[in-house]
Amino acid sequence: MAGLTALGYISGSGRLHRWDPRFKIVALIMVSLASLGTSLPVLSGACLLMLMVVIRAGVPPGALMRDLKPVVLLLLFIFLARALVTPGEQLFVLGPWPVTREGVIAGAAICSRLLLVLLAGVAVMASTRLSEIKAAVEWFLKPIPGVPEKRVGTMLSLIVRFLPHILDQARETGEAQRARGIENRKNPFYRVIRFSIPVLRRTFLTADQLALAMEARCYADDRTDAELVSDRSDWILMGTTVLLCLCLLMF
Amino acid sequence: MSFIEIRNLCHRFPDGTLGIDGIDLSIEKGEFVVIAGKNGSGKTTLLRHLNGLLTPSNGEVILDGMSVGQDPRRARRIVGMVFQDADSQIVGETVYEDAAFGPENLKLDREAIRQRVVNALAVVALERLSEQRPHILSGGEKRRLAIAGVLAMEPEVVVFDEPFSNLDYDGIRQVLTQMLTLHKVGKTLLVTTHDLEKVITHADRLVILFEGEVVRNGAPADLLEETENFGVRQPCAARLGGEVPSWLD
Ligand SMILES: Nc1ncnc2c1ncn2[C@@H]1O[C@H](COP(=O)(O)OP(=O)(O)OP(=O)(O)O)[C@@H](O)[C@H]1O
Ligand SMILES: [Mg+2]
Repeated sequence: MAGLTALGYISGSGRLHRWDPRFKIVALIMVSLASLGTSLPVLSGACLLMLMVVIRAGVPPGALMRDLKPVVLLLLFIFLARALVTPGEQLFVLGPWPVTREGVIAGAAICSRLLLVLLAGVAVMASTRLSEIKAAVEWFLKPIPGVPEKRVGTMLSLIVRFLPHILDQARETGEAQRARGIENRKNPFYRVIRFSIPVLRRTFLTADQLALAMEARCYADDRTDAELVSDRSDWILMGTTVLLCLCLLMF
Repeated sequence: MSFIEIRNLCHRFPDGTLGIDGIDLSIEKGEFVVIAGKNGSGKTTLLRHLNGLLTPSNGEVILDGMSVGQDPRRARRIVGMVFQDADSQIVGETVYEDAAFGPENLKLDREAIRQRVVNALAVVALERLSEQRPHILSGGEKRRLAIAGVLAMEPEVVVFDEPFSNLDYDGIRQVLTQMLTLHKVGKTLLVTTHDLEKVITHADRLVILFEGEVVRNGAPADLLEETENFGVRQPCAARLGGEVPSWLD
């Protein structure tokens, strides 16, 4: 169970931790939008900056690397696909496919965009308690009529709460199956089915048990939520973020 | 009328299995009751009726004069439950938040919650770890956190389902110490186990479950002879004709 360390709250008292969760959510959305900016050098600079923010938030770099390995592989795949299929000035030939300059640039841009959003997400997750996220989401939804904000907040925080659990379970099941030689089976369909059924079953079982445990402790939608307070320094940080995002879009 | 009255309680699971069958039991305030039985004898099923996690197929549980089914939330405030599997009981992202989960559900104000959590963590000696992630705690610490989470709700009755499973010698002694402290301040304790050795000297009463029914109910000293008829191991010392020593000495 000691698995995932990077994806989840890490207790701390730094500036990012103290930042009002409402601002953090807005900032996350703004960074995601700003990542549509096109310039590759600015994007990769932004990635580096975000990486520093993540590490400052207390995420151990080693754990970050390990937990993000599948994502990095996916990014590599996207990069290669882009580099190979985009027409343009040929750099060199990889097997039967030509690799183009335009392709490499486009691939790198897409990858750094995804990486930027991902790192921003990790930074928010690491520095914000679930109860704060829940309270912030409820605050945003409150003025919208017809939306049961407490319900939505509860659902959202349950999903976030459960993600690391599912990943942990997937990893454990994978290890148990490798210990029993699943790798000798070449048929990928067989392996996927053999893998996903136990993971799903275990996930439902844990979900059941968790629901019982929460019920036993009087869980209800209407409970004491995290307090939301913002002061001037929260606004200053927000202003800085807005400026940085504008830079990303303009250059 | 006793504090907890269980009357002809039956539970049939959707697949037809009879979990418990016609249980009658009364428990007084402040009693320390051990419920023993082999795997599948219905211990967990019985406990889950005390706070309305399960609904009886027949019969009822009356808590302090009111049926559990009538107001399950009230029952959950009175009966705190420490689950068999401490892992699945953890809901918070830090030790502190996990202990605060119950009081937050009771809609207490921030300061009252803080008070209760600090007290509960101090009782189980986890205050040093309050900012730690619960999932990386040791088995014993997790169990103690589960206890703190229940204590923070200040229940009248504390129910422990197999509290010693997966614990080492030290862990067992810590949990046992916690139980005795609770008993001393007047809480009613219900503890299920299939291993009497660890807890029986401290109990006021022993109830033996077998295939979903109460087959014995009385003073521990009178019943230790018979436990093996129902698949529960007799403590060594009792077999040799002596008194079972406490694990705390
Ligand atoms: N969800 C369920 N569906 C069907 N049958 C169940 C379910 N849960 C328990 N049972 C059955 O009910 C009976 C009593 O189970 P229970 O979990 O109460 O036993 P227990 O005494 O707690 O056992 P253990 O010592 O293994 O924890 C068992 O025969 C079990 O197979
Ligand atoms: Mg059980």
